[in-house]
Amino acid sequence: MADTVGGAIAAGGSAGPSVPAGAGSTRSLGRMDLAFSAQDNAFREEVRTWLAENAPRDRRPRIGQAMREFDLAWQQRQFAAGWAGIGWPEQYGGRDLPLTQQLIWHEEYARTGLPGIDSRFVGLAHAGPTLMARANEEQQHFHLSKILRGDVVWCQGFSEPEAGSDLASLKTKAEIDGDQLVVTGQKIWTSFAPVADWQEMLVRTNPDVPKHKGITWVICDMHAPGIDIRPIQTMDGSEDFAEVFYDEVRIPLTNVVGGIDNGWSVAMSTLSFERGTAFTVNQVQLSSAVEHLIEIARSRTSINGRPVIDDDSIAHRLARARADCAALRALTYLNISRNANAAEPGPEGSMTKLHYADLCKHVYRLALDVLGPRALAMPIVEDDTEWIERQLNSFQMSIAGGTSEIQRNIIAERVLGLPR
Amino acid sequence: MDLLVSAEQSEIIDSAAAFLRDRMSMARTRQSLKDSSIVDPVAWQSAAHLGWFALGLPESLGGVGYGLAEEALLFREIGRSLAPGPFISTVLAARVAALSGDDALAAEIIGGRRVGLAIPMSQGVLRDGVVNGALQLIDTDVETVAGALVLVVDEHAAAIVSVGDLSDAAVVPCYDDTTMLQRATAVGVRPIAELPASTEAICRRGHVLAAAMLTGITEACLWISTEHAKTRIQFDKPIGVNQAIKHPCAEMAVRAQLAFAQTVFAALATDESRSDVDLQALSAHLVAAEFAELNAAATIQVMGGMGFAYEHDAHLYLKRSVVLSHLFGGAGPQLHRLLAQAPAE
Repeated sequence: MADTVGGAIAAGGSAGPSVPAGAGSTRSLGRMDLAFSAQDNAFREEVRTWLAENAPRDRRPRIGQAMREFDLAWQQRQFAAGWAGIGWPEQYGGRDLPLTQQLIWHEEYARTGLPGIDSRFVGLAHAGPTLMARANEEQQHFHLSKILRGDVVWCQGFSEPEAGSDLASLKTKAEIDGDQLVVTGQKIWTSFAPVADWQEMLVRTNPDVPKHKGITWVICDMHAPGIDIRPIQTMDGSEDFAEVFYDEVRIPLTNVVGGIDNGWSVAMSTLSFERGTAFTVNQVQLSSAVEHLIEIARSRTSINGRPVIDDDSIAHRLARARADCAALRALTYLNISRNANAAEPGPEGSMTKLHYADLCKHVYRLALDVLGPRALAMPIVEDDTEWIERQLNSFQMSIAGGTSEIQRNIIAERVLGLPR
Repeated sequence: MDLLVSAEQSEIIDSAAAFLRDRMSMARTRQSLKDSSIVDPVAWQSAAHLGWFALGLPESLGGVGYGLAEEALLFREIGRSLAPGPFISTVLAARVAALSGDDALAAEIIGGRRVGLAIPMSQGVLRDGVVNGALQLIDTDVETVAGALVLVVDEHAAAIVSVGDLSDAAVVPCYDDTTMLQRATAVGVRPIAELPASTEAICRRGHVLAAAMLTGITEACLWISTEHAKTRIQFDKPIGVNQAIKHPCAEMAVRAQLAFAQTVFAALATDESRSDVDLQALSAHLVAAEFAELNAAATIQVMGGMGFAYEHDAHLYLKRSVVLSHLFGGAGPQLHRLLAQAPAE
């Protein structure tokens, strides 16, 4: 009977324009289901076992050389065991795992409590994929294996004081002098600059053409003479960020990727890599944070001597955060399903980023209310320090990697087709 | 793992949408608002004939043999079109009758006998096989009160009750124009069929079906607003060029995706008997209810004066999402139950 119902239901005719039926542009080639295959489950066991035995147990240093060494040692250990570059193509030394297994890796990785983004991020998830897409063989050969093996740290030099959301208005000047580019100018909001070896950098090679057409994507050696790095202290107290000043820094022309004045299209291929399965780490860690807060609310008492969770307002917000995290996970799964069926990731990734940014702010603000006024006293109870840091850090979520306003533009224009 | 709609499911969606457009359009519903019942009995019979009320029942129980996922996709279309009538309670009642062994009643409901939904006005209305207390009856047939049935559901059990056994039944105007409402009182009423949640949690399926209708509403409002933003010209430009319009549309799109994703997740969790199924179903209902109402409210704003006019459908979407948010406990109790669950799997 199940075979006939499609036809049986199809009896109705059509009449007039109205709200179109659902489904969406991408359809599955298979069957809708939530379960993972036996093979995937075996893979999860393998990942879980390996991470339990190998994930670093020491507290990760938050800044400086110690942080760099910690992150790179962790990458080296993953590389030695064959876990480096699970999403990278095999020709570049990666595992090229199917998206479902990448999802599983990231879900299990998140349980280690290690941050989703550390000093390896730009190399592995940003510059590396760009080099694969656009660099020549020599450049790929020199850089990609170093990134994968955990020999080097990369940083990004895109934003400038006068070029934020309007990235293409960047001004850092690069003039050709023989077989070199001579770079003078300033970049800002560069994470991990003080510990980086290389930088993926956008420079202005032609000021006399429309702004998108005079930009070049180049690999900058962060140890080159003329580079001055000044840390920027942020509202959460960390100094991950830096301003980078360039005073006639000489970069060989062989470091240009994709050709002089062709950097905008190279940068755009970078940006499409930015929202892949690795986001799962953030989603799982936010869900874990909510579960942890629920435990805290059950185990601690508030000023009135009763469990924090007895407060209806706190309880409702915690429950609502649980529902929101469930939906964020479902959306992540939906995106991964979509990307598994599509040639390249669509603009829908912007929806995940936008929602995640809002949710982070809500959840970590709720954390302050669960902890109560005691958490105002600095320095505070050891375990609570991280909540405070995360709450303050959450404000960057709607700014970094494309502001929420830009994400809304992308959704409206590229998903909904609204006019520019 | 795959959350995308399959080719076979797309056929269900497309044919359901075509039927709803043809037989249960908003124009028809608006015409019937003056009638004693807004449900077109002939169209309802046709829906029954198409298998709508047995889609998720096993074939061994006289059903079509699909899962809750397919039912959810159908209900998403029903929500999108705001078709009037007790769809959720009829589907759930067919299940209660079939699983409790009342084959004759199950066959009648599957064949087109409507069953309304009773909202309990206090806790513990259904206890030890007896119904006691005040009820509000949703979409219960007024014309044939003597034979009319309603479904009473809480998290412990579900029961089918004859409206004839209730006292003080009275029609009252409803906040939502396209929902029929009655008040009634049960005094020691014995259900004609009952199913404990230990056999199957009917309430959980109710959350998912309500979430599915709310998802349809969330998506419909996004579509209406976006189309208007593209075509309405002010200051010589489509209003959609302005971020003050564009950004709310983007927010609506995010809500629509979230509601759809979580509803599908919860339906599949039910079909696949995941351990965190209650957490998923409650999350779906809560999230979809909030998002449907927010999208409807945003649509009223994007439409401007037209959005406030009775003639436009935006307010009907808003009103229906409020009704659906009150089903199966409403937000407050649902949040408490959600918090009491073990963490997600």
